[in-house]
Amino acid sequence: MKFEIKVEYYPGDTGEFIKVIEENCTGCGDCAKFCTRDVWQPDGAIYRPVNLKDCVECGACWNVCEFDAVIFNEPKGGTGVRFEYG
Amino acid sequence: MSNNEYDVVIVGAGCAGPAAAKKAAELGLKVILFEKSQVPGEKNVSGTCLNGAALVDPDLHYLMEGPVEREIREMRTYHINKDRTTVFHEIPSEGLLLLSIRRDHYDAWHVEEAKKAGAEVRLSTTILDIIEEDGYVKGVVTDTGEKFYGKVVIDAAGVNSIVGRKAGLIPKRKGTNMILYVTVCVELGEEVINERFGDCIEYYLSPGIQHKTWPWIFPKKDTVTLGTGGYMDENLLNDEFPNINKYMENYLNLPAVKKKLEGGKIVAWGLHLEYDEKIKQRVKNGLILTGEAGGFVIPFLGEGMVEAYFTGIYAAQAAANAIETNDFSKEKLAETYETLISENLFMQTFRHIAAVNKEAILTKTDEEITQMMQQVIMGGGFISNAVHTNWMNGVEDQDMERIQDAYDFLELMKPYAQVDPYFENLYNERKRK
Ligand SMILES: Cc1cc2nc3c(=O)[nH]c(=O)nc-3n(C[C@H](O)[C@H](O)[C@H](O)COP(=O)(O)OP(=O)(O)OC[C@H]3O[C@@H](n4cnc5c(N)ncnc54)[C@H](O)[C@@H]3O)c2cc1C
Ligand code: SF4
Ligand code: SF4
Repeated sequence: MKFEIKVEYYPGDTGEFIKVIEENCTGCGDCAKFCTRDVWQPDGAIYRPVNLKDCVECGACWNVCEFDAVIFNEPKGGTGVRFEYG
Repeated sequence: MSNNEYDVVIVGAGCAGPAAAKKAAELGLKVILFEKSQVPGEKNVSGTCLNGAALVDPDLHYLMEGPVEREIREMRTYHINKDRTTVFHEIPSEGLLLLSIRRDHYDAWHVEEAKKAGAEVRLSTTILDIIEEDGYVKGVVTDTGEKFYGKVVIDAAGVNSIVGRKAGLIPKRKGTNMILYVTVCVELGEEVINERFGDCIEYYLSPGIQHKTWPWIFPKKDTVTLGTGGYMDENLLNDEFPNINKYMENYLNLPAVKKKLEGGKIVAWGLHLEYDEKIKQRVKNGLILTGEAGGFVIPFLGEGMVEAYFTGIYAAQAAANAIETNDFSKEKLAETYETLISENLFMQTFRHIAAVNKEAILTKTDEEITQMMQQVIMGGGFISNAVHTNWMNGVEDQDMERIQDAYDFLELMKPYAQVDPYFENLYNERKRK
């Protein structure tokens, strides 16, 4: 079977619920490595959550960052990823 | 009490939240339940099979009335390597083992039950902060800045709960404490599933499809869900597996799996974290952590929903006792909460099984795990592995005490190792017409 990523989102603005704290970020890239959705992209010496609209709110980036450089909040109520079938 | 003041404020309407809300309302408390998604069960919660060994507890009987997708009576395990495929068929005894559900349908039903009991529910409302005053958690703040006060706050917001994080109880976790899971849901149609899976869940172990976890296929009514992943340690991702999806891709392409899914189409993909360790401190003045937020989950056994239901209910009871005595200290909350948990034989025994199995899984290669499971699976899979490991280690070290422990545990487990027709009878009385 051909593997396919099929994921839905609620309409509406999620807000910037994931951010990088620039002065803490060492550019180690762990956030990008563990992010399955390629949200985190290099920008000079650091990484930034660029493709936030693809985020599935898993929390991997926050959990793996050893430098406390990831701010991981929640999207606005009723917005963000929607997994049908749970 | 003014408009925004409640006895109990609950965050998260997955498993633990609605269970806590329903119980608290039944105990006569004024309760409000918040959920960030539009439909409960549609955020990344996952989880599909309810364990009958837990549902026989009177506290959980009502859950059998929820929307069930499929009744599970059997379990098959495939060990596949280059040379051969070995299939183990496990039917602990004749009878119903698990109830397979869809979280979006089931959680939504559960929330309605909480409402019927008298709980107030706010969907599409994200909690972003807690209110702390004088060393006590006193309430929560929504994404629109609205404040809600509760004598007790119950955190049921799952693995990455912002409530538990803000309260300083939930740390960052990775390595052998956290599992990254990818799931896909494949639509095959009810008849095809009846034919290819019937009432059986399947586990697969093969090189390249998992990293120290146990890939599974859980059949629902007209779809099946596949899950695989691994502990978030330094070996999970590398050049060969740049991304967790690679494990899923390999899994879908195992010839045995491919054949089973022939003609199907992927209708949903999911990504989830699952914590595999106890949270050290699960209460704080005015706050109780339940379900996955409190680390009440055993990923290795695919077990977390029922623990969430139990702890949600126990947290409501703890809140009621605290309110009665007007004492919301962590000591008072813990008194009821921890006692009820320690008296729950299901939770205690499954924790033991998981601990023994996790130790075995982490110290062995995938190949050794395959061999190990081949020796024990005939006797009842994970349960007998827990007994077997203790027993064999005892023999090796000539330690009679460990052998006796293993024997005692086997006796204790008896009711859970076999499926009592009691569950089936109860379920038949309760299930929806
Ligand atoms: C792939 C996978 C398969 C699994 N299979 C099984 C299985 O077969 N059987 C089993 O028993 N367990 C299984 N589990 C475990 C089970 O899913 C979890 O243990 C269970 O969902 C935990 O319930 P909970 O109520 O604690 O949290 P959750 O079910 O995660 O619910 C948390 C809820 O809180 C909401 N929320 C979060 N943050 C906020 C916020 N800030 N504001 C408002 N709302 C918020 C979320 O949207 C969500 O609805 C599985 C887990 C995974 C990852
Ligand atoms: S893991 Fe943390 S420190 Fe490393 S690049 Fe990402 S944000 Fe920066
Ligand atoms: S929460 Fe998950 S999907 Fe979103 S940016 Fe972080 S790792 Fe990527």
